[in-house]
Amino acid sequence: MPQTRTTLPYIKRLLKAIRREGFGVIMMVALFIIIIGPMLSVILWAFAEQWRYPALVPTKWGFLYWAQTLARADIKSALPLSIGLATVVTTLSAVFCLPAAYAFARLDFPGRKTLLLSFLSTNAFPRFGLYISIAIIFFKLGLVGTIPGIILIQIVNTLLLMIWIPTSAFQGVDHALEEAALDVGASSIRVFVQITLPLVFPALGAAILLTFVSTFYEAQGALIIGIPNITTMPVLMYSIINSQVIVQYGAVISLILWLPSLVLLIFAQRFLRGGAISAGFGV
Amino acid sequence: MASTNVSTLEHPPAVKRKASPILAYLLIAPPVIIMAGLIFWPAIQAVIETLVLTNAKTGALSFSLQNYISFFRDPILLENLWFTLEITFAVVVVLFLVGFPLAIYLRFSKSWIAAVVQVLALFPLFVPGVILAFAIIRFLGTHGMLDTLLRMLGSTSFYTPYLHPSGIIIALVWDNIPFTVLVLTAGLRQVEDSVIESARDVGANEFQVFFRIILPLVTRAVIIVFCLNVIGVFGSFTLPYLIGPAQPMMMGVSMQQTYNGYKDHIGALTQAVITFIFCASVGVLYVRTVSRPH
Repeated sequence: MPQTRTTLPYIKRLLKAIRREGFGVIMMVALFIIIIGPMLSVILWAFAEQWRYPALVPTKWGFLYWAQTLARADIKSALPLSIGLATVVTTLSAVFCLPAAYAFARLDFPGRKTLLLSFLSTNAFPRFGLYISIAIIFFKLGLVGTIPGIILIQIVNTLLLMIWIPTSAFQGVDHALEEAALDVGASSIRVFVQITLPLVFPALGAAILLTFVSTFYEAQGALIIGIPNITTMPVLMYSIINSQVIVQYGAVISLILWLPSLVLLIFAQRFLRGGAISAGFGV
Repeated sequence: MASTNVSTLEHPPAVKRKASPILAYLLIAPPVIIMAGLIFWPAIQAVIETLVLTNAKTGALSFSLQNYISFFRDPILLENLWFTLEITFAVVVVLFLVGFPLAIYLRFSKSWIAAVVQVLALFPLFVPGVILAFAIIRFLGTHGMLDTLLRMLGSTSFYTPYLHPSGIIIALVWDNIPFTVLVLTAGLRQVEDSVIESARDVGANEFQVFFRIILPLVTRAVIIVFCLNVIGVFGSFTLPYLIGPAQPMMMGVSMQQTYNGYKDHIGALTQAVITFIFCASVGVLYVRTVSRPH
């Protein structure tokens, strides 16, 4: 079971490895309880029609609350709004940032390093303090409680992802390939579309998908700017949790809300291997 | 992945010699304007507005520390600030205590158990804050799943961490484990196996290997994890708001209450600037670390 590396052939090291896997087994069990436990209770609640303490699993199973939850007026308006907002914000962010990422990767100009670094330095602002500062400016501009206000505050969070991942992708393209194509007479637009773009496409796709999902779940900016007129799905969750009406409503909404993340999870292996997520932190 | 980023910043890009800088500036203008207008400008504006008092009668402007004096004279707000510092300290310490052993294990083990542990440790990346809050309440709350499990095992002394400071710590640790493990593992990947083995060959024990070889090589990753965890926890809102006690509250919750509840904009802004100042101290360290080549 514990696979020792072939470079460690000695018994002493084998024992050490077993001891290490002992740690691994403990971590696996502990993480399973701590990480999966909470999500499991949400899933069970979503399919419980009745769950009396101290039963470990629901005392009556069923889909009763799915129909009730999906019939709620607030969800019918919040879900399309959230999807629409995430789409608009992601599109705008891509339109603004991708050409900039190309410039950062391929053109040289004074201030390039400083500007690129300043995007990274936005990590150093505590999010909620920043949102409050933005909200107070938006208040004066009449943007509080408006869709454009929410779009603007949500774009803030997307910049780093949409600049850094595509920039390193554009930089990773082998120049020799492009020059070879130019040498045999391809136009530079054709080289871009047929050589460069296919090579960076996976990274751009990752950046766009990550931006969409993180915007879909963005709750804090939308809460501060949206109040009181606009309620997105994550903002709706705040009131569902605080009012504690019927547990199953929250559970069903959580599962519906969780879908985009599950899609991301399927693609995740690629991003994590490519380092897309930690790329935005300057590791 | 680490090398990609350093090269992103350090090495001069493959230059298209014919292109003029003007084209480059036009291309980068939109995100730079958004960054300046929606991050740097609000922060600067917040500092200015909290330091300048407008005379109600004459409209004259004057410099004043009044907003900050009121903050530091308010026992509740001070308690909130201390509480935030305590929670931040606790969360960052726990994250290192959990994250470092995990990252070292994941770096050096290649078994299937390690693969499962990695999936579990990164799983919270795919659970957004509001869902996490709900899940933690259902799991750790009174009559929640853990309560039920402990009761089955015969324990009746379960105190729920929901609405207690410990609940915030649990939730924030849960939320930040993936980032901590990802960055530390990325840092540890730069430590070559051969370096460690040659140290062992000359008789270094596990502790010496860790403190003399591994730790100096991952300092950069450790600093980045430390800084971003401090800033992230200090500026958090969703989890402390939904899981924490009503009093004391973390600065994010306090600001939101001052802004939305009391409609006291300048008071909320003052609290925002105070969090900026606290985070700026580690923020500077972060920016210096990422801008320095290895």
